Amino acid sequence: MAIHRNCQGIKRRDCLKLGLGALLGGGFVDALRLRATAGNNARANTSCILFWLDGGPSHFETFDPKPDAPSEIRGEFSPISTKVPGVIFSENMERLAALNDKFTVIRSVRHDQNNHGAGNHYMMTGAPTRIPVSCGAFVSFHPSMGSVVSAQRGAPDGLPPYFSLPSMTRSGGPNFLGARHAPFVVGDNPNKDDFRVRDVTIPSGLEDGRFLERRRLRQELDTFHRFQDRAAGDPVLGVDENFQQAVSLIHSPAAQRAFQIDREPDQIRDAYGRHGLGQRALLARRLVEAGVPFVTINDGGWDHHSEIFPKFRTQGRELESVVAALIEDLDTRGLLETTLVLVMGEFGRTPKISTLADRKTPGRDHWSNAMSILVAGCGTPGGQVVGATDRRGYSAVENVYAPENLVSSVYLKLGIDPDTILYNNSGRPTHLVSDPHPIAEIMG
Amino acid sequence: MRGSAANTIWWLTLLLASWLVADEGWSSEPAHQTVAVTFESDIQPLLTKFGCNSGPCHGKARGQNGFALSLLGFDSDFDHEAIVREARGRRVFPAAPEESLLLQKATAQLPHGGGVRFEAGSPPYELLRTWIASGSPRTPEDAPQLLHVVVEPSQRSLAPREKFSLHVRAEYSDGSERDVTDASAFQSNDSTLATVSRDGLLQAGPVPGETAIMVRYMNHITVCKVTIPLPGELDAGDYASLPRKHPIDALVWDKLKLLGMWPSEVASDATFHRRAYLRAIGRLPTPDETRVFLADDREDKRETLIHDLLARPEYADFWANKWADLLRPNPYRVGMKAVWMLDAWLRDAFRRNMPYDQFARELVTARGSTWHNGATVIFRDRPQTVEIASSVSQLFLGVRLECAKCHHHPFEVWSQDDFYGFAAFFSRVGHRGGLSPPISGGEELIYTSRSGQLAHGRTGESVAPKPLAAPSPDLAPEEDPREALAEWMTDDANPYFAQVMANRVWAEIMGQGLVEPVDDLRATNPASNQPLLDFLAEDFRAHDYDIKHLIRTIMTSRVFGLSSTPSERNIADLNNFSRYYRQRFRAEVLLDAINDVLDVEEEFSAMPPGSRATQLWTHRASSLFLDTFGRPDPNQDPPCERTSDSTTPQILHLMNSPELNRKLSLDSAVPARLASSCRSAAEIVEETYLRVYCRFPTDDEAERALAIFPGEEADRRQAVEDLFWALINTPEFLFID
Repeated sequence: MAIHRNCQGIKRRDCLKLGLGALLGGGFVDALRLRATAGNNARANTSCILFWLDGGPSHFETFDPKPDAPSEIRGEFSPISTKVPGVIFSENMERLAALNDKFTVIRSVRHDQNNHGAGNHYMMTGAPTRIPVSCGAFVSFHPSMGSVVSAQRGAPDGLPPYFSLPSMTRSGGPNFLGARHAPFVVGDNPNKDDFRVRDVTIPSGLEDGRFLERRRLRQELDTFHRFQDRAAGDPVLGVDENFQQAVSLIHSPAAQRAFQIDREPDQIRDAYGRHGLGQRALLARRLVEAGVPFVTINDGGWDHHSEIFPKFRTQGRELESVVAALIEDLDTRGLLETTLVLVMGEFGRTPKISTLADRKTPGRDHWSNAMSILVAGCGTPGGQVVGATDRRGYSAVENVYAPENLVSSVYLKLGIDPDTILYNNSGRPTHLVSDPHPIAEIMG
Repeated sequence: MRGSAANTIWWLTLLLASWLVADEGWSSEPAHQTVAVTFESDIQPLLTKFGCNSGPCHGKARGQNGFALSLLGFDSDFDHEAIVREARGRRVFPAAPEESLLLQKATAQLPHGGGVRFEAGSPPYELLRTWIASGSPRTPEDAPQLLHVVVEPSQRSLAPREKFSLHVRAEYSDGSERDVTDASAFQSNDSTLATVSRDGLLQAGPVPGETAIMVRYMNHITVCKVTIPLPGELDAGDYASLPRKHPIDALVWDKLKLLGMWPSEVASDATFHRRAYLRAIGRLPTPDETRVFLADDREDKRETLIHDLLARPEYADFWANKWADLLRPNPYRVGMKAVWMLDAWLRDAFRRNMPYDQFARELVTARGSTWHNGATVIFRDRPQTVEIASSVSQLFLGVRLECAKCHHHPFEVWSQDDFYGFAAFFSRVGHRGGLSPPISGGEELIYTSRSGQLAHGRTGESVAPKPLAAPSPDLAPEEDPREALAEWMTDDANPYFAQVMANRVWAEIMGQGLVEPVDDLRATNPASNQPLLDFLAEDFRAHDYDIKHLIRTIMTSRVFGLSSTPSERNIADLNNFSRYYRQRFRAEVLLDAINDVLDVEEEFSAMPPGSRATQLWTHRASSLFLDTFGRPDPNQDPPCERTSDSTTPQILHLMNSPELNRKLSLDSAVPARLASSCRSAAEIVEETYLRVYCRFPTDDEAERALAIFPGEEADRRQAVEDLFWALINTPEFLFID
């Protein structure tokens, strides 16, 4: 019922202050703009593409195979050697194995949140949930990485700074940073011929000048009285500002190009794969090129309690070829230096293969004591493996890191100080990341 | 620089004075005023004043760099232990006090994350050094107790940019007093209106208004209220000419007089009519309703309208929806069926206009199945005693008790003892079954168990139920402590219960609470008009907590009907209600309004056809529109509150959303129907204005709108669609004006 004190950005009280401050010079909208661009100077050209593998991908079947373990742990797949001598991946990570001089694999991030709800939250925000939550939970107690980047970095041309494709992740929300830092969700499938990014492009049928005619008419009929004196704190001025931003986005060639995935040459589109995931990765690259600092690709279906081996032959291979295509493409374009690519989920999987009572085929269950994370770009050294799990993949044993360290690394790479104090809605000081030390090995 | 020099002189004077006095001997004076520098009365206030024990620094639960203090110094034993005993005594070193870590860090002689807090040799430094040298003594237990901290002045009216000094006096149990200005911490509630320096020098800003300065000394907090009236004279007689028949009006004018402000004009009938519909029942009036109201020339037509609106069925959905925002449970915790049950319970309560005391009582004491009694679901949603306690105190009492779970409330009198005493009322809430969310959620029984005790979070001792600032009730063993809690909450003597609801309802109708945030009532967050809040609460109580009466009282005041257009004498007023404050529609209201304007229906999952957005019982029903315009996220903890601020994606959605454009061009929608009707272009324009803006177009507007109509009637559908699109995309549609 409280409408004014809110989680969604500027509070009325702030408006009041801004309005009053405006008497001293500047203005409400100026102040908004100032806020929107605050922090833009720090590593303003870096971005992050996060592949979020919801469900928790197995570390055994990806980047941490255990060929010497007994078969009930080892699983069906064989290890393969990679471009980096001495480093082995699981056999389905074929294209990435040929490319691992371009990225780091972290084998030693671990935590204690063994269910999806809590694991999602911890990995996505760098903060554990404040109260225990269950597997099915979609919870938010702390702003997600994408929302923090949105708040701290902003984006040019009125572009939303944080995209999530094709849906928001469980804990990918802004929490107290407010709705303006919620992800801009593009649900439509960029693999379809009629793909358009919703709302930011003129609806079909109106391109031929009718849209301009409507806008002209709107302007002519908009007689609503504005209280220009900033001290009056007229919220309509904020809408006018938003309207201008919207118009500049609709008419910004650079921004609009980003959404037109069909301008991409066929060979590139093919390289990413002609399916939703591949084209979303390509769209993410285009968005990053246009200046968007954070794009999440939310990919579900990694909770392999059963069918783990057939799934990795299909789903696993599809993912790895998309990631490989993205890294190669970014590298070719010189964008890998400024684009961080992360591939991870909420946790790894149990060493012992199991067949649950209600399943017909074997799989692995939740295991937050070990997982593998792929990190590329933005100064991350290539050809590296950080940390290690024990012989059987039970737990991270060398250079063990927490989600806090990973999230701190992401912030530092994006020019944001993880050792920042944020104030939540009740004015309580909250650490952006409670342990602001990054994973030194990936900081370059 | 001048401030700090003055500060230094103060300190030196104080120290010098103490020494001089000490030399003369203190036999005739109370013991605590001797030179002895002791922990509680001298050192802890310094730790607060210099921010050492603040939340971002050593005051946070795990401290900073291995050094933890209690937040804002509410636990003296802990703090003394931390300073004197921990770190193998390196923090204080009596033999060579200068070598103490405490001093070396605070002056940044050793690397200190918090930088330089004060300089070596400065008065606070000297005070700390003296204390360390004398063996870091505690303030003796038999020392006179600090009873009150008094700030002078406690209230003051001043001109823009005027300055004055605050003085803080401590009063002790033996009748003695001490000037503690230099040891007190000051904080302005709104630094745009007034700033305050570390030594208590207050300065008004350039603009008129009102704020409070919080003063803190040794766990005692007090405020100085500052009023900065608008310069220039208004004749006192002018105020007497304003209508004072309605008690709200009289109280608002009184406040405006104090600030030198003058109310705006009364809003036009059309503006009032639209505003009243949106505020009372959350929908736009139809063109016919607008025509009738505007043509009505009875004097009391505004009052009549309010009465009629509150009798309409939409009232219940609209107001229940607001309460659902506050109570709607996380479906993953309670299961979908329970979400529906609680929603149905709320709607039923508002349909019956259930008295608010009964409403609170039924929720707080709910027993039975989550599948039969929706009120029980709040206990399934917040199964832990401490969770439900924080939520009840904030909802119904406007007391943010949650802070006091882990530490003393930073801005209030509430301690951990208060928190656990309050929470203990819920210690015997029993839960049975329903343990498997999220899929089925299951049915859970909420009952009063025969036993059950709450352990204090710090001491671990069992806590007896105790209301806030009131004695513990005598509870028979068979009695549900929650009944006693409900009794105390809804008792006429309870100062919080009626006020927080009156404030919520006021904020819903006026666009701004008398207290903001609306559920944070405390001495350090004063209401912008306390007499008005008192009146509303008293009147609400006197009318048996009749919510419709409260709404009617507010909406029939002249203040509710004022124009939003500011004048020179109220332009900067944002919380004294000298004019109406514009606000964007909330998400559901906006979606319903668009559908009403176009006469189209929305299809929601899990809802019968033709349902309105204000009738949605779960946010699980997907709606890109509602997500874009902001609805509370039940997955977020605490659930995100509403905002009326606009964002660029919202504007983009209105302009370009394929869904909206589809509705606009449906054959069955209003634009197509109007275009194919036999109405003239002028009639269509008038109808469009009535539907979207709920007013007639001016001649000029009508002329401009008519210009887009083609000569041939057959082609006019596009023109009508464009006209609707244009008006829907203007702020006049989006705002309650």
